[in-house]
Amino acid sequence: MKRLLIMIALLGTSLFVKAQITMTGNVMEQNTNVPLLGVTIVVKNTQNGTSTDFDGNYSIVANLNDILVFSYVGYKTKEVTILNQNPITVFMEPDLVQMKEVVVSALNIERDKESLGYSISQVQADQVNVARENNVMNSLSGKVSGLQITQSNTGVDGSSRVLLRGVTTINGSNRPLVVIDGIPINNGFGGAGSSGGIDSGDALADINPDDVESISVLKGAGAAAAYGSLGINGVILITTKTGTQKKGIGISVNSTFTLTDVFLTPDLQNEYGTGAFDQFAPINADGRPVLDYPFSWSWGPRMEGQSYTNWLGQTDAYLPQGNPYKQFYSTGHNMANTVAFEGASEKGSFRIAVTNESAQGIISNNTLSKQTINIRGTSKLTKDLSIDGKVTYINAKVRNRPSLAEGSANTTLQLSLMPRDIRLEDVRNNTINANGEEIKWNLDNTFNNPYWAKNNVKNTDVRDRFQGHLGLNWKATPKINVTAKTGLDYQTYDNVSHAPRGAQAIANGLGQYSHGSGNFGIWNSDILATYTPRAKNLDLSFSLGSNYRSEFGKDINVWGNSSKVPEFYNISNYLNTFSRESRSEKDIYSFYGLAQLGYGGMIYFDATLRNDNSSALPKDNDSYWYHSENLSVLFSRILGIEGNVLNIGKLRGSFARVGNDTAPYRTQAVYTIDQTVTLPYTVASIPSSLPNFDLRPEISESWEVGAELGFFNNRITLDATYYQTSTKDQIMAVPISGASGFSSKVVNAGEIQNKGVEVLLGLVPFDSDSFSWNLSANFTKSNSKVVSLNEGLESIVLNNLQGVSVEARPGEEFGTLYGNDFLRDNFGRKLITNEGLAQKGERIKMGSINPDWYGGISNSFRYKNLTLNALVSVQKGGEFYSYGRAYRMFFGTDARSLEGRETGIVEDGINENTGFVNETATTAMLKQFTDIFSNQIAVNQILDATNVRLKEVTLTYNFPKKHLRGTPLQSVSISAVGRNLLFFYNAAEDIDPESGYSSGSTGTAFEHSSLPSTRSMGLNLKVNF
Amino acid sequence: MKYKSSIIKSLVAFSIIVAFTSCDKQLDDLRDNPNAVTDIDDAALFTKATRELFLGTSGVSAVSFAGHYGHYFVAGSTARFPDQYGDNFDLQYNQMFTGMYGGPIKHIEEALFLTLEGERENEVRHAIAQIIAVLGYAKLTDAFGDIPYTEGGKGKTGDIITPKYDSQSEIYKDLIARLGNSIKVLKTANPERGYGPSDFVFGNDMDKWARFANSVRLRLAMRLRYVDISFSEQTVAQCLNEPLMEENGHNVTMVQTEGNGNPWFISRTGFPSIKMSTMLIDQLQSTDDPRLPVFVTPDGNGQFSGMTNGLTDVAFGNSDFANKSDIGISLSLPESELYLMTASEVWLLRAEAALVYDNDLGTATTLYRKGIETSLQQWNISSDLITTFLASPIASLSAGDGELKIGTQMWLALIPDYFEGWSHVRRTGYPEIEQRTADNLDKGVTNGVLPTRFLYSTFELSSNKTNVEEAIARQGANAIDTPVWWDKN
Repeated sequence: MKRLLIMIALLGTSLFVKAQITMTGNVMEQNTNVPLLGVTIVVKNTQNGTSTDFDGNYSIVANLNDILVFSYVGYKTKEVTILNQNPITVFMEPDLVQMKEVVVSALNIERDKESLGYSISQVQADQVNVARENNVMNSLSGKVSGLQITQSNTGVDGSSRVLLRGVTTINGSNRPLVVIDGIPINNGFGGAGSSGGIDSGDALADINPDDVESISVLKGAGAAAAYGSLGINGVILITTKTGTQKKGIGISVNSTFTLTDVFLTPDLQNEYGTGAFDQFAPINADGRPVLDYPFSWSWGPRMEGQSYTNWLGQTDAYLPQGNPYKQFYSTGHNMANTVAFEGASEKGSFRIAVTNESAQGIISNNTLSKQTINIRGTSKLTKDLSIDGKVTYINAKVRNRPSLAEGSANTTLQLSLMPRDIRLEDVRNNTINANGEEIKWNLDNTFNNPYWAKNNVKNTDVRDRFQGHLGLNWKATPKINVTAKTGLDYQTYDNVSHAPRGAQAIANGLGQYSHGSGNFGIWNSDILATYTPRAKNLDLSFSLGSNYRSEFGKDINVWGNSSKVPEFYNISNYLNTFSRESRSEKDIYSFYGLAQLGYGGMIYFDATLRNDNSSALPKDNDSYWYHSENLSVLFSRILGIEGNVLNIGKLRGSFARVGNDTAPYRTQAVYTIDQTVTLPYTVASIPSSLPNFDLRPEISESWEVGAELGFFNNRITLDATYYQTSTKDQIMAVPISGASGFSSKVVNAGEIQNKGVEVLLGLVPFDSDSFSWNLSANFTKSNSKVVSLNEGLESIVLNNLQGVSVEARPGEEFGTLYGNDFLRDNFGRKLITNEGLAQKGERIKMGSINPDWYGGISNSFRYKNLTLNALVSVQKGGEFYSYGRAYRMFFGTDARSLEGRETGIVEDGINENTGFVNETATTAMLKQFTDIFSNQIAVNQILDATNVRLKEVTLTYNFPKKHLRGTPLQSVSISAVGRNLLFFYNAAEDIDPESGYSSGSTGTAFEHSSLPSTRSMGLNLKVNF
Repeated sequence: MKYKSSIIKSLVAFSIIVAFTSCDKQLDDLRDNPNAVTDIDDAALFTKATRELFLGTSGVSAVSFAGHYGHYFVAGSTARFPDQYGDNFDLQYNQMFTGMYGGPIKHIEEALFLTLEGERENEVRHAIAQIIAVLGYAKLTDAFGDIPYTEGGKGKTGDIITPKYDSQSEIYKDLIARLGNSIKVLKTANPERGYGPSDFVFGNDMDKWARFANSVRLRLAMRLRYVDISFSEQTVAQCLNEPLMEENGHNVTMVQTEGNGNPWFISRTGFPSIKMSTMLIDQLQSTDDPRLPVFVTPDGNGQFSGMTNGLTDVAFGNSDFANKSDIGISLSLPESELYLMTASEVWLLRAEAALVYDNDLGTATTLYRKGIETSLQQWNISSDLITTFLASPIASLSAGDGELKIGTQMWLALIPDYFEGWSHVRRTGYPEIEQRTADNLDKGVTNGVLPTRFLYSTFELSSNKTNVEEAIARQGANAIDTPVWWDKN
């Protein structure tokens, strides 16, 4: 009672003395007019404060001339002086720089970015869900320094090559770890081999962009130490959305529709058609020409409309037939719709989102249908105990993934090599003969009727993926927090492929069927206790944790050939059947501790210590320790120079030592039992790789230093990092002399050192209420050098294609391209034979798959409600081998093969016998065939990968709030989006340097008759109810 | 409160200890590869090695190389490139080299290792495995010349990953000695000590194994005729003192029942197809040899039309390849037999030995006719036709034509072991394969001369550099026309 009286007295005093008024109003986001909930409003220099409600409304008692301070995480703080206006509507401007300040760091701990001693980049949801990609990783391309993403042209749901700070291990995948809401997920790569196959996609394709809240890229091992050996290549942390309190009924819709079309095809010549040696092919007894090497090439006579016998044996006019790519491939599309329901209260939150995606590739029967259901809930069970759970279920069905590279059903290979006089319409109308056999343009098994292939060589894969976690958070005491979390990423797959009888290339005309199914997953459980003592000016936190992880998988495959009845796809229908089965499991348990120390917001120090125990290593060596130390110094604060010019200045440094294990079962000598079905006795085999009983963990040591500077209230920001990583004692299967009986031996050997520089520059040249311009540029220079290999080993061939290899050699860059040079004399002149042909010389270094540097420039312009974003990606340097072009050169279809057709080619060089300058002309056909095919001299097909491309453009219009008044709509935005729109510069001219057939570490090394590059354009609509 | 926290502490400590020990146990359980076994009956390795050896007679060494070099056939499309005497086949050279070591050699080395001592010690199995090992190494050295022998294939059994090379002369001497030891053991061996049901070759018939071993010894001994005549002659004499393969029931054969069956089936029905050579067809036709329809399928017009080996691309394009004669049906059904050695070869080797070592034309003729007869019987030629053929001039020797006739018949009798056929041609020079000089023939890198070996691959040159360079220094340039040691013709 006494208190009440005092309060009333006080109130009365202030009321009467200071003429208080009750201010009301509304707080909305600038541009979108979305009401903001929970904005803090205080009267400056007082304790008097309040916050906005659901509708963004507030009410506060203040005095005239008081200053109201509106602050909200992620927005620029705004101050308004109370004059005579009431209500006061405040528009808060998102502070993009500010928004990145709180980042999700290792172990999903939200940290103030300034306290981190290692480099981290965070990308927000709208950067991945407007110009939406099926594979969310592709949306990060060009946006994050240090992250190199190469998309493959391998059909819908294809995989992407992802490298963070380059390559560190010779045999490893080198892909960063991907963690969703604290649970590491499977991250295998996809792609075909040089001899063909399909790209079955990678695990990252299932991350639904519409469910992503933010993506943090933790680049150095300093961050990764917390994740154990999985994090040795860096970590990409994905945080998905949880339910939030929203105005309206809490439904949001995000729809994207894009069209995909061919935009880059190789230049083909239109002057010479089928034949060889300038002649038509001889005609066989069946009336058709000889459809075999070399007569099925385009080295025949000039096409002048003369009468000839075409490939079908018909009399026809001999004429060019245009661009076959444009005729064969069609416009694809991609549609994605997400509906999300969400809500939150003090007791908890929920979010349910359903996404449906359908896509059709440029090959019209290559389709994707994918549904994702994502349910997330959090609940405060008691004051101290909260629970967080998520279930994501994904069902994806992909049909007819395209055959790649040298695969006999690779349609691009066929289209690019078919003689230039072949009418595509004839190919389409003549796929099988009366006996049901494929009608071919070339008898070789590699070369086929592209329409036969498209219509008959089919595959379907279905995957069901379950991702979920359950986490408990217990505030044991105000200072002790315990979290326990278990999560699973589990995928089953079922792949069927089949082709009917009739194509010699497929099981010698018998047709075939294959059915594989299996599952794989990672089960990860963590417990972490954190002690946070309170101390003046000190931020302290100590954590102890333990982790158990199990990686498992199994695969069963049955296949057969010679079908009994047509069009029935069941293993029972095949005369010859085969099967195979495999299982694997690797478990790792770990203990770790973390300490974080901070003083006065000026200096922060973190340390991690971790011990892993892996079943993949021999018992005596299965335990390994590692640690990391990170330091962040806010020198601008320490020196007291923070101000209007330099608003933040931070230096950081980090050191980490990370251990790594290997794939399971490399430490045991075994025999496998051969799968035989007819033999009355047992046949066993010794695997081709020699095991190692004393394998040790490999060790990676890295350090980085960096600086973060912000000037003029973050109108200019600069983040620069220098890093160096050295990975020693690498576990690798080194190739050994075949005379040992084995092809490789697993050893601990070699060292790779990679170092690099990353710079991120942010500029805000204009910033006003109606117009703003944001510019962000990132730059990465990364170099991975092979310091040593196993003693005595000169080289490890990482990959090869038709005489060109990507190698790791001591003293050279990882991924150096080697191939045959011309035979030359001491002065470098080619030695030419009497026939006028160059010859095969030494194997030489021809380039490197690693770019000199790469980066991206992103511009964002906003005028009132209209926002334009444009991302340009740049790669300087790096080489690749285009066997597609090489192939077209000796088949004579490439536009470049026109050189010297009539006159012959006089090779530049000297006659090897006379020593005089060569004057003997050879025919263009013989030269190209001899150089490229016989001698595998690749010099002219090693191409520069330098390119500047317009990677992404979005134009967004946010409907003004006032137009939505009286409707259930809370916000509406519509965007025009485009991806991969054009090249400003492409050194390889008619070949996209990003068109490898594999997304492995060296996947960018080789292009082989890849599907044409595509661009996509479409619309995105976001509506909130 | 204090009480409560000490309970928590003990619980935490206890669970950590439990977690540690149970985790360690769990990890250990996972070290065993669930897809393989750690112990195996050596019989399963013997079957592996032996089957690989059989299948090798239809592998790339035969289809791409020896079949062409022996002028038995011509493959279509790009598969015929080796027929143009080029040497741009690094991948194939490597495949053949590593395929032999990783296939027959590795598995038989393991079987030899396991049966030598310890719980699987078994002198009979060891003696049989030695024959397989000898055949494997003989094929390797015949193909490449000097090879890793004493240290070859011992990556696991001897922990040797950069094996040194041995000279072919030493290899041959040791191979012959190994066979001698095997024959000694097998002559008196208890069949129950053999490979039991895994002996798919002879079903534990020790006499047949001994004859086989002795016959291989005869083949190897005759191989040395031109380089070490005394050792050759002396070894041949030893061989003749022991039983040899004499009838087709002694033949060493296998039918591939797994997968698509005999690989030559695909060569006849698939792409690239194989067309039989003009040289083969001419030989068979000119002598009215009843094996013609066995070895050659008539073309679409019912004629036997051969392909000329070594055509240039232009000539090949105009050769009407598609309509030439295929490989014979009997050689190329899915169930056709694969051969490691036949009695007919042994009779012909004996004929040659009688002719050159005993200078006994009469005995040589008898043995020669026996060889032809056995070969014809092997291919189920009717007795009438056999009688007729044996009555023709080709079936008897006269002074001066013995070596040519024996050599030519050996060339035919070795079908379908085309690799042995090429080795035979290299050794004896029969049938004569002329240097290519005509304009429509490719001269390759040998100036038109028949290639005499395979190259050491660039992979071997880099992974076992010192050793292979030592071998090249001893043997001569790593070229396809550098003859191997025993090749003097």
